[in-house]
Amino acid sequence: MSPEIQIIFVFAVFLVLLAAGMAVPFAIFVPALLYLLLQGGLVALKGLGLVSWGSMDSFTLTAIPLFILMAEILQASGLSSRIYRGLAKLVAAVPGGLLQTNIAGCAVFAAISGSSVATAASIGGVALPQLVERNYNRPLAAGSLAAGGTLGILFPPSLAMIIYGAFTETSVAKLFMAGVVPGLMLTAMFMTYIAVHATVKPEVAPRERAAGSFTEVVLAIGEVLPFLFLISGTLGLIYLGLVTPTEAAAVGCLCAIVISRIWGDLTWRVFMDAMGRTVRLLGNLLFIVYAAYVFSYAISFAGIGEEVTSFLVGLKLNRVEFFLALFILYTVLGCLVESVGMIVITVPLLFPVLAGYGIDPVWFGVLLVLFIELGQISPPIGINLFVIQSIWNGKLSEVVLGTIPFHLIMLVLLMMLMMWPQLCLWLPAHMS
Amino acid sequence: MMAEAPELIAETGSEHPLHGADPWTPRETWLEQICQRLCELALVASVVMIGAEVISRALFHFSFEVTDEVGGYLLVAVSFLSLPVSQVHHGFHHVEFVQARLSPRGRAWSRLIFDLTCLFSIAILVWQLVRLEIGTWQSEDVAPTILATPLWIPRLTMALGSSVLMLTLLRTVLGDGRRLAALRQGGGTRPVARAP
Repeated sequence: MSPEIQIIFVFAVFLVLLAAGMAVPFAIFVPALLYLLLQGGLVALKGLGLVSWGSMDSFTLTAIPLFILMAEILQASGLSSRIYRGLAKLVAAVPGGLLQTNIAGCAVFAAISGSSVATAASIGGVALPQLVERNYNRPLAAGSLAAGGTLGILFPPSLAMIIYGAFTETSVAKLFMAGVVPGLMLTAMFMTYIAVHATVKPEVAPRERAAGSFTEVVLAIGEVLPFLFLISGTLGLIYLGLVTPTEAAAVGCLCAIVISRIWGDLTWRVFMDAMGRTVRLLGNLLFIVYAAYVFSYAISFAGIGEEVTSFLVGLKLNRVEFFLALFILYTVLGCLVESVGMIVITVPLLFPVLAGYGIDPVWFGVLLVLFIELGQISPPIGINLFVIQSIWNGKLSEVVLGTIPFHLIMLVLLMMLMMWPQLCLWLPAHMS
Repeated sequence: MMAEAPELIAETGSEHPLHGADPWTPRETWLEQICQRLCELALVASVVMIGAEVISRALFHFSFEVTDEVGGYLLVAVSFLSLPVSQVHHGFHHVEFVQARLSPRGRAWSRLIFDLTCLFSIAILVWQLVRLEIGTWQSEDVAPTILATPLWIPRLTMALGSSVLMLTLLRTVLGDGRRLAALRQGGGTRPVARAP
């Protein structure tokens, strides 16, 4: 079997196993082992032990469990409802009412969770019962939460960016900062769309009463303040160059415990529940990362990476055509492969090509995250669609319908970031 | 329902929790519980150690200079010891749009085939990790750091975690066999015998 046929065969096995329902980490790990065996038989497996050690003995990746633990503590302590309650009073007067709160709430929770699913589930669980009770337009309500949840991996701390950074040896701190401006822009674009939609069609969202008195405003700010303190504290320390992202995660965990104890329902039992959930989530996530390292090792063992790079470079695509090809690739993959899988399978092959096109790795990291976000609200496996549908027991088609306008907005932002890389690169360039 | 739904979906990654618990899936044993506790311990140790490093550096301009090294070891421990915990709690994500279209018998067969494949692949991993562990022990490798950590200690967690995962997968395969037997006997709703 020629090397080209081998790699196509291995990718086909990966996609078949994935689509057929094998657990995602195994769907990556099994073809990786198969590829190694095809390359060099049992002898090729001898490096597996050292690859396992070398890939996971990483201080950068240590940020992943710590950021997940931080989000789980805050979520288990019931603080997502506190964010929502406070923001509802502050932004509900804007056309769109609680739909605006969905987006703002997702943006704030995104900045402490790092995960789209956690963001959509936390804010969706609090918001949907109220939205249904107040007769908000169902597709728009569901769509705003599914799309708002995707902000979880664009705003720092983003687990997707940590994994991308670890794989490509790109500064995670710079990646975090590069996500801030696009994240704020996407939040503003989502909120503007909702405001325009609600103004043109007032029946989609009833007018809400905002905090009227000064005392109410102060109380509402008081609800959100602990999170703003936590977000600005952790991100500020990274921006100022005082701590690494992993250290910021540890400080964030300690702060989350204090905040949850004072303002939330943190007890020993709640803390242990959060730990238990964190471990179960980590087993899946870190196994995907590990399996992808083995896959990456198999690719380098075969030496096919160089061939793929020279093939892509040999196509002599200009940068726009290259981005178009990426767009098609990730749109198709986004319908089949879940988020982390998309990064870990494609990046080892694509990353070496970037230099040839003069593409900054930090810029590419943000674009990749946006592609993943699109995949998370694309049927048939867009995970955020199912998260929201499961919470409200509504029709999946309504959720899909509701996300279409947000899909288009994300595409607009993607185009803007492709045309103006400085939107991503400006803030990292000013870091200490 | 409100509280359970997101967790369920987050864990299965799908609309249809077809890979969730049923009477034939193995229950958690002391082995997975120990792995879970060790992971929790490693998480707490990471938070305390790295937090202490940041505070001591900020206040006293003093670094322990071991945080990066030990942090990496703790991540290795969490990565491998959490595997059996996720397996027994159905924590691995699945894409289920094909599974949802299969008959109960088709699903039972696919589970058996997939779990056997997973078991085989993990057996290979265990073989290689145990080899590495023995080699490290015999060659008395130490980390080139201030701590000069004997590397067999942190590497042991890889062999242990993957070995427990292999045992959990073995029990899962046995449960798959019992599920198929029950389906063949006609019922499919009641267990013939519980997986150990």
